[in-house]
Amino acid sequence: MEILKVKNLSVSYGKKIAIKNVNFTLKEKEILGFIGADGAGKSSTLHAIAGVVSFKGEVVYKGYAYHSPKEAEKIKNEISLMPQGLGLVLYDFLSVGEHFDFFRDLRGLKKDEEYETRLLKMAGLYEFQDRLAGNLSGGMRQKLSLILALLPRPKLLILDEPTTGVDPISRAELWDIVNEMREEGMSALISTAYMSEASKMDRLMLFDEGEVIAKGTAQELIEKIKDYTYEGEIESNECFSFNKRTYCLNPLPLKKAIPTLEGVFFVNALKKGKKPILIEVPKKNIDVPEIIVKAKCLTKKFGEFIADNCVDLELKKGEILGLLGANGAGKTTLIKMLLGLYPIDEGELYLLGKRIKSYEDRIELKSKIGYVSQKFALYKDLTIKENLEYFAKMHSLTPKETKEKIEKYSKMFGFEEYLNSFPKEVPLGINQRFSLAAALLHEPVVLFLDEPTSGVDTVARSAFWKLLRKLKENMGISILITTHYMSEAEYCDRVVVLKRGVKIVDDEVKNLHQKYPGLDFEEIFLKIYKENQ
Amino acid sequence: MRLNVIKAYLKKEFIDLIRNKMIILIYLIPTMILILFGYGIKLEVTHTRTIIIDNDHSKLSLEIINKFSHTKYFDVKVENISYKEALHKLQTNKADMIVIIPPSFSKDLYKGAQIGVFIDGSFPLRAVTIEGYVEKLLIHGFNIKLPIKIENRNFFNEAMRDYNAIVPGLFGLIFLVVPASLAAIIIVKEKEVGTIFNFYSAPIKKIEFVIAKIIPPFLFHSLNIFILFLWATYLFDVPFRGNFFIFWLTSEIYILISVGIGILVSIVTSTQVAALVLSVIITVIPGFLYSGILMPISSMDKESYIEAHIFPVSYYNHIIYDTFLIGQGFKSSLNVLYFIILCIYAFVLIALGTLLIKKAIK
Repeated sequence: MEILKVKNLSVSYGKKIAIKNVNFTLKEKEILGFIGADGAGKSSTLHAIAGVVSFKGEVVYKGYAYHSPKEAEKIKNEISLMPQGLGLVLYDFLSVGEHFDFFRDLRGLKKDEEYETRLLKMAGLYEFQDRLAGNLSGGMRQKLSLILALLPRPKLLILDEPTTGVDPISRAELWDIVNEMREEGMSALISTAYMSEASKMDRLMLFDEGEVIAKGTAQELIEKIKDYTYEGEIESNECFSFNKRTYCLNPLPLKKAIPTLEGVFFVNALKKGKKPILIEVPKKNIDVPEIIVKAKCLTKKFGEFIADNCVDLELKKGEILGLLGANGAGKTTLIKMLLGLYPIDEGELYLLGKRIKSYEDRIELKSKIGYVSQKFALYKDLTIKENLEYFAKMHSLTPKETKEKIEKYSKMFGFEEYLNSFPKEVPLGINQRFSLAAALLHEPVVLFLDEPTSGVDTVARSAFWKLLRKLKENMGISILITTHYMSEAEYCDRVVVLKRGVKIVDDEVKNLHQKYPGLDFEEIFLKIYKENQ
Repeated sequence: MRLNVIKAYLKKEFIDLIRNKMIILIYLIPTMILILFGYGIKLEVTHTRTIIIDNDHSKLSLEIINKFSHTKYFDVKVENISYKEALHKLQTNKADMIVIIPPSFSKDLYKGAQIGVFIDGSFPLRAVTIEGYVEKLLIHGFNIKLPIKIENRNFFNEAMRDYNAIVPGLFGLIFLVVPASLAAIIIVKEKEVGTIFNFYSAPIKKIEFVIAKIIPPFLFHSLNIFILFLWATYLFDVPFRGNFFIFWLTSEIYILISVGIGILVSIVTSTQVAALVLSVIITVIPGFLYSGILMPISSMDKESYIEAHIFPVSYYNHIIYDTFLIGQGFKSSLNVLYFIILCIYAFVLIALGTLLIKKAIK
């Protein structure tokens, strides 16, 4: 039975169109997945259906048609929305139990002891009913938000990126809860940035730049692009290569491969006439020691909380080291200690063979290190060019050098045409590349990148990784990178996995594949995490 | 309207305000403003550095010098210097006022004698106040029979105490600024954090949400009416001659007006900082300027007279000054009219807030 029908739905904010002409239907007990990057229009579509944003077009829920948030009021007691963000709807100073009281009264529900206990147990929060929401971990907050959304027994559950930033274990638990409720007749619309979650959905819609580019089951979508998918990676301005596969519209003399969902985005980009940017990084030799960073038993405490507990780390010359772990595992804290943004509580740190003890020790090495922070530290009121000029001045480059460097990097990284735009006007992928350029202006020998690819679309991510590899191969730059996408771990030479501040794995990627044959990295990661309970 | 929704929000709001310690600010800030401003604003001028040049040396001139010397308002030095030297002292800020008694002052008294009084006018308000003291002192100060007798008496604030003039006026300032900022913050906080989605996505009416958000600041600040009243009457010794019920009721209505302003502020802002700054700016300036502390509204110029009547603070203060210092209460038809105007304000602002608040992402 069809419970939801969406006809020509469009949402715009002022002049900016968030999503254009979406059409789909949802059946009872069905889970429809929205997949796409940040800003692709997933949230806007979900918000429109939940009746929390004005939209054009029509939504029909069980025969009741609505065209505005006001008309949607009538069906809001059958729909639950969980917006994007870790526990966004929670009040930090309210305990788990008090949240139940609040949401029960808000919806005018009678207390159903049995159902509430069941929800709390499903989420593993039964023992934590007195704990304040502000003291819960990210995964727990997300699970609490989910069971609160389930409290009014909705017929339609709308989840906006429920798993983003959640550790793999909690992620699996979130899916279990959704599946259990689905058995009881609930339908769900769920958006995600992780391709790997596609298998949990009955049907998928892929979003890109404010449009739905494909619809169907994961199998159907993959089927459609299998003619364009080849094994291996090649250099070409006609084809995209990512994660051991190449996508090309023209036939290639290569072996065909089973495509992944990510491929749909590449094929779509190719069909739209987009070409991959060709990145040319000139060869250069730099003189650095074999060990770039050596950390011995680094520890950082915030009061009682130990963010990093005696972590050893080594970054070798010309190596890409991936730092993985769930939210709150201590990745960012570790990078900040290496950079000197946090004082080190215990342990020793050597950068480029030199023991770092004081602020003065760092000043000397500052010119050798480049850093791109989470969310990119850009000035939004300066154009991209002005931003770069500002960073160049900070590193006391001469105006002539600055001009040359900006020209060089904008050409090399392919953002020349955006130089005079403001950061918020350009796609996230462009911001990401020009942040990298800003970090490279002073020609460092080592780069620290903190989640540079979060929320960036697949095509831009593939270009970014290509760029990083070129930097490593041709310029000999060492790179330490953190990421949430497990598929990206394949691009690292070595990975370090942190869990609650403790290092649980430090190995080369190929060794891990040998150890766990036949698994992709996401599965390997989950296994490792479970083994180290 | 369903009580369960309002109850849910109220319970959450009270727990939140207490656990995040906001409750301390709610009760600290009004008292702080009252004490800081109450002690801080001085309208009277004391210890004016005065140089008297006595060229007459008569019994009368000595009497004048004595009169000046025996009040707290003047610190007198009698010096035998020239007019020019004295003026120089005034210019170099060695003195605030110079009094020159001419040589034949007592002889010419009935023919039209003159005394030269020179006052430092760099602070006009202070200069005018000093001038007033001098005039009063010279006219009433000693037993000279003048052809005209001026009989003046200050009503309602006989002792001319500053506290009586300032402290009641501060009520209008405090109850305009503080409830407005609290109301704006507790709404905008939900927008900033994201919990506003609970309101957007649940079948809750706008009026229910607004009422649930009005009640906490209203109740918390109702207690402040009593606290500030006690400070005013016990700490500052301001007399209370009117009807307490009228004082209390008018203050409650006035707090509703302030909360209404806070709701309107929360509609146009999306961060707590912006909400705080905006609500303070739009309430402090009228709250202070048109409170009647600095200048009675009836003596304002045309533009400011009209402006003063646009802001509710002037109506409220009229009634509050009345209840403290005069005590006419609702026997005065003007007070009744002003009370009705305040009720209309409260109703219009809150109705407007309910109407304009959006139940959707902008």
